[in-house]
Amino acid sequence: MTVGLDQYLFLSALLFAIGFFGVLARRNAIVIFMSLELMLMASTLALVAFSRFNGTYSGNVFVFFILAIAAAEVAVGLAIIVALFRHRKTVMVDELNALKN
Amino acid sequence: MAPDLLASLILVLPLASAALCALFLRRQGGLASAVSVTAAAAIAVCSGLLIFGGHREFPASWEWLRFGDFALSIGFKFDDLSALMLFVVSFVGFLIHVFSLGYMHDDPARGRYFGGLSIFMFSMLGIVLADNLLMIFIFWELVGFSSYLLINHWFERPSAAAASKKAFIVNRVGDFGFLLGIIACYWLNGTVNLSELATKGASGALVASTAIPLLLFCGAVGKSAQMPLHVWLPDAMEGPTPVSALIHAATMVAAGIYMLCRIHVLMVPDALTAIMWVGTITALYAAICAVTQRDIKKVLAYSTLSQLGYMVAAFGLGSLAVEHDTATPGEAALAAGVGAAMFHLTTHAFFKALLFLGSGSVIHGCHHEQDIFNMGGLAKKMPVTFACFTIGVLAIIGMPGLAGFFSKDAILYLAMENNTSVFVILTLTAVLTAFYMVRMWKLTFLGTPRTESSAHAHEGGFTLWAPLVGLALLSIFGATGPLGLFPKLAGSIATLIPVAHGSAHTTILIVSLAVMIVGAGAALLFYRSDKEDSLEQASRGFFRVLASKLWIDEAYGYYVGKIQQPFARALSFVEKIALAGFIIRGLAGVAGQIGIGARALHVGNVHVYVYWFLIGVVLFWSYAMGLF
Repeated sequence: MTVGLDQYLFLSALLFAIGFFGVLARRNAIVIFMSLELMLMASTLALVAFSRFNGTYSGNVFVFFILAIAAAEVAVGLAIIVALFRHRKTVMVDELNALKN
Repeated sequence: MAPDLLASLILVLPLASAALCALFLRRQGGLASAVSVTAAAAIAVCSGLLIFGGHREFPASWEWLRFGDFALSIGFKFDDLSALMLFVVSFVGFLIHVFSLGYMHDDPARGRYFGGLSIFMFSMLGIVLADNLLMIFIFWELVGFSSYLLINHWFERPSAAAASKKAFIVNRVGDFGFLLGIIACYWLNGTVNLSELATKGASGALVASTAIPLLLFCGAVGKSAQMPLHVWLPDAMEGPTPVSALIHAATMVAAGIYMLCRIHVLMVPDALTAIMWVGTITALYAAICAVTQRDIKKVLAYSTLSQLGYMVAAFGLGSLAVEHDTATPGEAALAAGVGAAMFHLTTHAFFKALLFLGSGSVIHGCHHEQDIFNMGGLAKKMPVTFACFTIGVLAIIGMPGLAGFFSKDAILYLAMENNTSVFVILTLTAVLTAFYMVRMWKLTFLGTPRTESSAHAHEGGFTLWAPLVGLALLSIFGATGPLGLFPKLAGSIATLIPVAHGSAHTTILIVSLAVMIVGAGAALLFYRSDKEDSLEQASRGFFRVLASKLWIDEAYGYYVGKIQQPFARALSFVEKIALAGFIIRGLAGVAGQIGIGARALHVGNVHVYVYWFLIGVVLFWSYAMGLF
């Protein structure tokens, strides 16, 4: 069986769906964050696959940018979660409803 | 000096004086009066140079505003007509300024008063010199405003405040028609410039419309206080007496007649007939009202109304000759009306300003007593005022040799030639005029003093009697006749005055003498020097009917209070329910409901927000795909 573009895109969509389900279903902010990262990586996988099959490097360049920005974003996001935990002693999102009312 | 510069100076001087008085000299009454009187004197000098320097029809027009291809210009049209009016306004105005110096000497708000006089002079001279209808309209509104200011001078009196409001609002009714007339004139003829209209009229290119002259006449009805908009003028007597002399006798109220003469090329026979009847009825009505008045200024106010009616009737009478005498060109017949109206306007300005200033002198002398039944015997106490006032009375009742005689005869002759019923009414009015003027004169000056204030009356200072003497001289010499000044002032206008010849001349002479003798004699014999009105004692019911002034004020009061006010209230109710209640509050309610609904989405749970986000993405996606 030849691994073609369709298989890569299927894998990418599957990873995105898993990530999205994780965001929807989990209550722990760290797990939600990991799921978000999974969705991001699913899209970079699709970009790499497109780049490979088009024979150009523009997709790869995109991926490098995304990786760099994702690293920065993870640093900020984890820092927020740590600060949140120090402040509220919990990272369960259904308990973090201070903006309601 | 160049004539256009001179004319500009005539306008700029009073404006500068008004600005100076209103902005800087409100507390310095003495300085303000000096500035204002100096300005008036300078205007008189400039006007003299302009009138007697032989400058006529010089080009003076500047573009002011331009909207697309509609250009608004300001400019001067200076012909014999405006020269005559300029003389009346600037010279009578100057004498009244001088009189104001004495009359208003002790008034705490002198600065405001003289500022008002100057702004009035500016506006009135603007009407006189304007070369197009829109410019006339602008200055027309400005005289209305300055009249409001000056009637309202003693604004702490509720009656003065009400009178000034009434004058302003009633004028607004007329001015609405005037503005419509200007718009219609521009629409149909393509111009509102007086010279261009005259050129078009001469070549027959004007659109013959009855609506335009009648709408423009509405403005004159308001400003010249013709029926049915006459109600403001008697009330306007709440203002200081010099103001009544300047604005409500000599100049502003005559502006309506002047404006009609300016636009006489637009006239058509139907419109002139209407104008003639309005004038005739006003003349008679006001004369009847004047008979029962007790206030010396009210008598003069109704007399002014009546004389203004004469002028309007004279203007309207110019037309009927067009139908009568086909051999005469229409223009010449119309011109007879213009000539007679302007002639009477001029002589009336002289003798009525004289009478008002005379009454001012009397009021000043009697310590602000205005009721003629509380006066009496003033002839000995105030000899100069008495002599001048007598000349004024003789002029208005048509004593041969005085100015009023010539101008009134010209109008009566015009009426006799053209319309017998108008002639009869105007003759009857002349009888009444002689009657009420002599009544007032006798009660004020003859007999014995009836109250303390008249017993201690005294002649005023130089500034109070000198203008009276000046106006008395003008009332004697300001007409045609052997000694007359009028032809020198009016130039070609004087040649337009209808002059009776032969048997018509004799008839008119006999009629006017008979009228004067009957009216004056009846008043002299009938009225006793008493605190009660002799007519009231003789026939109370008849007196009451006359004194009611035909319930016109009451009718207006009823109309405004009982018809217009409920209608306005109904509209206000509808507005509150339908507009403010239903539409405005209703829309606010809808927005509020949407807000409440939207708040339900805000649950405070991150997972739910992810679902909202998902739904949003799905909606956007399906919209982008064209699913809905």
